[in-house]
Amino acid sequence: MKNKKYAKQDDANGEITRRSFLKLSGAAAVGMWVGKALPDLIWIDEATAAIPASEGYLLVDTKKCQGCMSCMLACSLVHEGVANLSRARIQVIQNPFEKWPHDLTIEQCRQCVDPSCVEACPVDALEANPNYGNVRMVYGDRCTGCGECVAACPYTPSRSLVVADEKYQNKEKARKCDLCAKAPYHWHRKGGGPQGKQACVEVCPVKAIKFAKEIPVQEGDTGYKVNLRDEKWASLGYPMD
Amino acid sequence: MNGYMGEIARVDLTQGKIMTIPTSDYKSWVGGHGMGSAIFFDLVKDKTIDGFNPANVVTIMTSPLCGTLVPAGSGRTEVQGIGVQSYPIGWFTRSNFGGRFSTMLKHAGWDGIVIEGRTDSPVWIDIRNRTIQIRDCRSLSLWGTDTRTCQERIWSYVCGTGTFGDWLKPHGEEGGKTTQRPAVLAIGPAGENLSRMACLIHDAANSSGQGGFGAVWGSKNLKAISVIGTGSINIHAPKALMKARLRQMDKYAFDLDNRKRKPLSTVFDAFPRPMTLWGNPRGSKRPSEGQRPVACVGCHAGCRGRYESGLGNEAHCAGTAFYSEASSLDIQRRSSDLLNRFGVNVFEAWRGLEYLRGLNREGVLGPGKKIDFPLTFKNYGSYEFVEQFIKIIAFRNDGHGHKSQAGDDLGEGFVRAAKKWGRLEGDEGDLKTGWLNFPYWGLPNHYEPRTELEWGYGTILGDRDINEHCFNTIFWDVLISRFTGSKPSATAEETVKIYTDKMIPFQGDRLMMDYGTENMYSEHMAKLVAWHRHYARFWKQSALLCDLRWPDFVNPYAPDKVGSTGESEQVFFNAVTGKHFTFLDGIELGRRIWNLDQAIWTLQGRHRDMVHFADYIYQVPYGGPSFMTSKVNGAWEYANISGRCINKEKFEEFKTRFYHLEGWDPETGYPSRSTLRSLNLGYVADELEKNGKLGKG
Repeated sequence: MKNKKYAKQDDANGEITRRSFLKLSGAAAVGMWVGKALPDLIWIDEATAAIPASEGYLLVDTKKCQGCMSCMLACSLVHEGVANLSRARIQVIQNPFEKWPHDLTIEQCRQCVDPSCVEACPVDALEANPNYGNVRMVYGDRCTGCGECVAACPYTPSRSLVVADEKYQNKEKARKCDLCAKAPYHWHRKGGGPQGKQACVEVCPVKAIKFAKEIPVQEGDTGYKVNLRDEKWASLGYPMD
Repeated sequence: MNGYMGEIARVDLTQGKIMTIPTSDYKSWVGGHGMGSAIFFDLVKDKTIDGFNPANVVTIMTSPLCGTLVPAGSGRTEVQGIGVQSYPIGWFTRSNFGGRFSTMLKHAGWDGIVIEGRTDSPVWIDIRNRTIQIRDCRSLSLWGTDTRTCQERIWSYVCGTGTFGDWLKPHGEEGGKTTQRPAVLAIGPAGENLSRMACLIHDAANSSGQGGFGAVWGSKNLKAISVIGTGSINIHAPKALMKARLRQMDKYAFDLDNRKRKPLSTVFDAFPRPMTLWGNPRGSKRPSEGQRPVACVGCHAGCRGRYESGLGNEAHCAGTAFYSEASSLDIQRRSSDLLNRFGVNVFEAWRGLEYLRGLNREGVLGPGKKIDFPLTFKNYGSYEFVEQFIKIIAFRNDGHGHKSQAGDDLGEGFVRAAKKWGRLEGDEGDLKTGWLNFPYWGLPNHYEPRTELEWGYGTILGDRDINEHCFNTIFWDVLISRFTGSKPSATAEETVKIYTDKMIPFQGDRLMMDYGTENMYSEHMAKLVAWHRHYARFWKQSALLCDLRWPDFVNPYAPDKVGSTGESEQVFFNAVTGKHFTFLDGIELGRRIWNLDQAIWTLQGRHRDMVHFADYIYQVPYGGPSFMTSKVNGAWEYANISGRCINKEKFEEFKTRFYHLEGWDPETGYPSRSTLRSLNLGYVADELEKNGKLGKG
């Protein structure tokens, strides 16, 4: 590894945080690389080891969305067996009086390469699940409902939410998008997760949500809020840009 | 109870009390209109009261399907009560609107809201999950606001200092969180000023337009109802619902990669496109700016739009056909916004303006004319003109804040105003000549009763312009084909077969679809009308499937073009509720509901003798284009049925046939005990009998 940089000390204890290591390495794709081959010249505390990147992401077109919230209903339906906008792991927020395209936004979990929610969980209840393509998932049995993941999410609204869970005698538990990896009411025999089908993608009537395997650009919105419109969409009288 | 929340909120504005009604008390009616009629029947003892009477009860009902994934079956809300718009009697009537109100109401834990009484000073109702409060309008200065300002102020108040877009706890620490704004239903100045054309508005343009419910609310001093909820709607079979949804989309919904027909607006396979008519009849002018389709909750094909300019957001259909001679597209779009902000029913405003313009051209109406009306038509086409016109209706004055008798007259509706102005008298009265194009119950012409028989008959035998496009789709399909030189979606014979095969229990009677003159008063036509009333009363107004997408009769994506109606409705219904409900069960329940409504109208004073169109329908042939299915020389075709009137005597015969079919007394039109008993409505028969209104038999 000829171009390897020596680690810098980041705090008073001299430990290298995972985040600073990633900055040194300089690439969004480092998560995947690091997951496979940790460099042995830089000491990293096991607790802050790099987290493998997810093998799947949701991309949305906020200019295309028709605001029907079918994605939200489908999300709560397949995960919890109920229709509840407040339990959806994807949120569509809109103002009917506002001008397009500022009248609506879709806020989906980004399966961040550097997941703050995973780092924040004090009881390791939120992890990249290797059985499901490293999707950032909550383990309900371990979750104490502390809400640290909610506070840690850098996005608004927080992609993690804590609600009373009937499966756990109404104790508060976190939930977040798992790309339908663990959706007990999943309609498809093969289920969800990065290898399967996501309810929001399948149900969106205008195909404003897309599943992608490639890691999106992590800075800003451009990686996750994309243009999914084409000539056929434009033929209905909508803009392509 | 899957699909249900278990309770209906009952708000007594006079007492300032909030009570609850267990939904299970009315579960046999399923939801929506059925429940609303049943609750109204129980709570309003004297059905002859005027709509402005505080004892009038307004129900706002959801169905078990609201807030679920049923395509075009999740977003509607049904409003009922004694209306104030129809003439000469404000019938017990209905109106319904889309958007997200019913979803939010169910998330808050309610299957509906019942409003009775009136307050002394203006209030709004604040529902946050299970907590309901009646709040004075003064603190937010709501009374006097337009519907947009009202909603925005309520949003800010309910959501506190939270930022829209973040998780909010609208119910304090007790409730859950949501990112959504409250769903608000409000009246504008038209309702506050008791204009009989006033409607209820939700978000930018979802409107409960018919019946004058805006004025009914105004008479109760009720400005708005806001609801925000964070609860769950239980679904009996989540996997089955999701599968049914995806299957329905795959097999019956639009496919941009495989377009099967030119765009029609009132079909299941319609594209997600704003159904706007701006620019018509000169030529439809879709705004050429950035825009998106907008759909009600759970709908698969939005029929509205939001625009880069923000003009006319969410307005659609008639709301965009109004003021077609505006001098610019922007002015016309702004006029749509005016209607929604002031809360004015577009149909009456639209047809009424045509009427006023005709009178102005004749020299009888205008400033200083025989009808001293404050509008000068010199600036017709301008924004100033339409703003003044809408304000005249909304404020019942001259549109500039000054008193005007004619302006006040207009607040009573166009037919009452015309009567007051002496325009209905004599052989040349405007309802004899057709100058005042209001053919049924003092309400404006929507689709032509002389040709679109199910529309006209259904309206005059009911309470209002039916506004159900189930068969009207054929009219548009054929008309557009003729103008564009293309073929309709199906041949006439195919259409007749597909439709009549699905019209259980009358399936197989092909002549139900013969709109020709020879058949227009027949028992076959009576069956069509009866079936339509029953289907609509349950599947559309009680289960709350949207009129713009259901029923799914002819579908070009389906094998042999046979759409999903008759199968899909029950699949969705049962997946949500867990019942074993058939399509026919729904039709039968619709018949039950229709009978209850007829009983209410009878108690209000209806007799068959008053069931008549305006005179011009019998005297003046309809000259507009109209092609509907008809059997001509033994073969089905889309026949030209223009150029005819309705024959008054033969219409009387039709009514007799219809009443026989429904099991009502043909002499009076009153429901009979035997029919009501067969529908488990013996108690309704008792009330009719007590009032001397029970039909024989």
